[in-house]
Amino acid sequence: MDAAALDELLGGTAREREESWRYSRNALRALSQQEFAVAVAPVELPAELLQQFDWPETRATRLVFVNGVFSRALSGKRVEVAQDASNHCELDLPQDLGEALHVVYVSVPGATPTRWQTNNRIRLGHGYAPIIEQHVGYAGAEVFGAVTTEFVVERDAGLGVTTISDLPDSCSLYRRQTVSVQAGARYRCTHALAGGRLQRFDLACDLAQADARCEQRGVFALRGRAHIDVQLDVRHAARDTASDVLWRGVADQRARGILRGAITVAAGADGSDAQLQTKNLLLSPHAEIDAQPVLEIYADEVKAAHGATVGQLDERALFYMRSRGIAAVTARALLIAGFCREAFGAIDDASLRAQLDAWLVRHLPLAGDTV
Amino acid sequence: MLKIDNLHVRVAGKEILKGLTLHVNAGEMHAVMGPNGAGKSTLGNVLAGRDGYEVTQGSVVYNGRNLLELEPEQRAAAGVFLAFQYPVEIPGVNNTYFLKAALNAQRKQRGEAELDSMQFLKLVREKLRVLHISDDLLHRAVNAGFSGGEKKRNEIFQMALLEPALAVLDETDSGLDIDALRMVADGVNTMRDAKRAFVVITHYQRLLDYIVPDFVHVMVDGRIVESGDKALALKLEEHGYAWIAGRQAPDKIAAGAV
Repeated sequence: MDAAALDELLGGTAREREESWRYSRNALRALSQQEFAVAVAPVELPAELLQQFDWPETRATRLVFVNGVFSRALSGKRVEVAQDASNHCELDLPQDLGEALHVVYVSVPGATPTRWQTNNRIRLGHGYAPIIEQHVGYAGAEVFGAVTTEFVVERDAGLGVTTISDLPDSCSLYRRQTVSVQAGARYRCTHALAGGRLQRFDLACDLAQADARCEQRGVFALRGRAHIDVQLDVRHAARDTASDVLWRGVADQRARGILRGAITVAAGADGSDAQLQTKNLLLSPHAEIDAQPVLEIYADEVKAAHGATVGQLDERALFYMRSRGIAAVTARALLIAGFCREAFGAIDDASLRAQLDAWLVRHLPLAGDTV
Repeated sequence: MLKIDNLHVRVAGKEILKGLTLHVNAGEMHAVMGPNGAGKSTLGNVLAGRDGYEVTQGSVVYNGRNLLELEPEQRAAAGVFLAFQYPVEIPGVNNTYFLKAALNAQRKQRGEAELDSMQFLKLVREKLRVLHISDDLLHRAVNAGFSGGEKKRNEIFQMALLEPALAVLDETDSGLDIDALRMVADGVNTMRDAKRAFVVITHYQRLLDYIVPDFVHVMVDGRIVESGDKALALKLEEHGYAWIAGRQAPDKIAAGAV
């Protein structure tokens, strides 16, 4: 893939890549040395892939993109979007959906390596609306997808975004979300990321006006040779804005996880409150996690706290559980799941919660062997 | 039920237990007292099977089996329970789920049928009623954010639910106010019967006002140096450990006499 194609997929320039791709340079280079043809959306999806996102609750309110192309046939009846020739959609979130808007991105392999991209703008004018963003794919030739989403949360509105990714080893995904949170508005998100050859997730949240708030939760659960690179960028641009960021990371086998959490409090953004915490678990001597909080404060009256830890499973907790009769392997799985589940505390929708729990069970080492 | 003979244990290269002998029969209540650093908690941890405790000499036989060969979870299934001095916080793991997992894991190892959710909840309610504790601890993560007293209550609740044959309580009374202390003692007393044995490790005589022991042992420097009935505890309370600190293990005295 030439530099121009890469720039197009990643929505930036090679120079920017140098900076923020520091920990993923090799992974990206390996990908860019392959040729990726532009993907074609297949007419039909295999049943097992369909099952992954065909949730009864959201059948009428889902938007499905196959290799970046909007699929009217797979999407629900209650939502309507128009996609232009460059795979761009604009959507004003309706208030009367009744269920979460379920946006599904499907990666389907071709005969040779393929790439696709799409970019969407979703605006919430008022009220509260939940969105579920899901990434699925199936194994085959390499697929490299890129999704750029721009969220605008207007004055006093509340947007809740939950993303779940579940990708096979042959899929790579670049995602960039920019969120603009206006006065008194609230943006809440929970991200559950797993799988893929390379997953890069950039989340830039701009607390643009006074009293804007964001609450971010996230988990990556990695094994095999999965490589996930998360770049958070929270910008407090106005007075009395608040951010609360909590991530959990787990890496087993030869997996690699990166979490960079940058918080900037601009000059004049007094009264801001910025909290960032990331805790990570290494489950194998060959796994690696890099956690880096970056705090830049240019205002005077600011409350800010950050913390990053990378550690191993608590041996005392393991012994405690075993002393109650729980087998070592089950105790491990319970501990790891519990560690991750702390990031799901804000999810009160029972069926979504069940989806996230199922996601955890699929991705935790040996977690299937529970009681 | 439990026969500990001449037990020597090293922790991080240092010998902590230096020839401890203790025999416990079913139905008995033993109190083990002693000053800080005597090795009381080491005894509890060795019985439960914690890593890092190296047995260099001696034996521990539990119901005819070599206890030291068993994994911690096998010991639990065989009926050994340790109430921790410092119960561990496990964020993200719901207490009820944890207890059900523990109970069913034990039942499975023993070849008994596992309890379904209804049966389990029925059992939980029954135990809560007997112990006079409310169920709010159950809906939280295991020990996470619990006060010291709540953690100890939770230990006793676990004991009541798991119904061990041999319960070792490691300073369960430390840091408790009088109400919590009574609750702990009530929990233990309710469970006392002819088939069950208790080893209660404590600093203070106070707990023994509520849990009346059949035997009191004084541990100094990795050995039991004095054994008696509950009168011994009162004597200790009166005179302090200094009174007994100079005392040597009976075997040493015997050896010295030869």
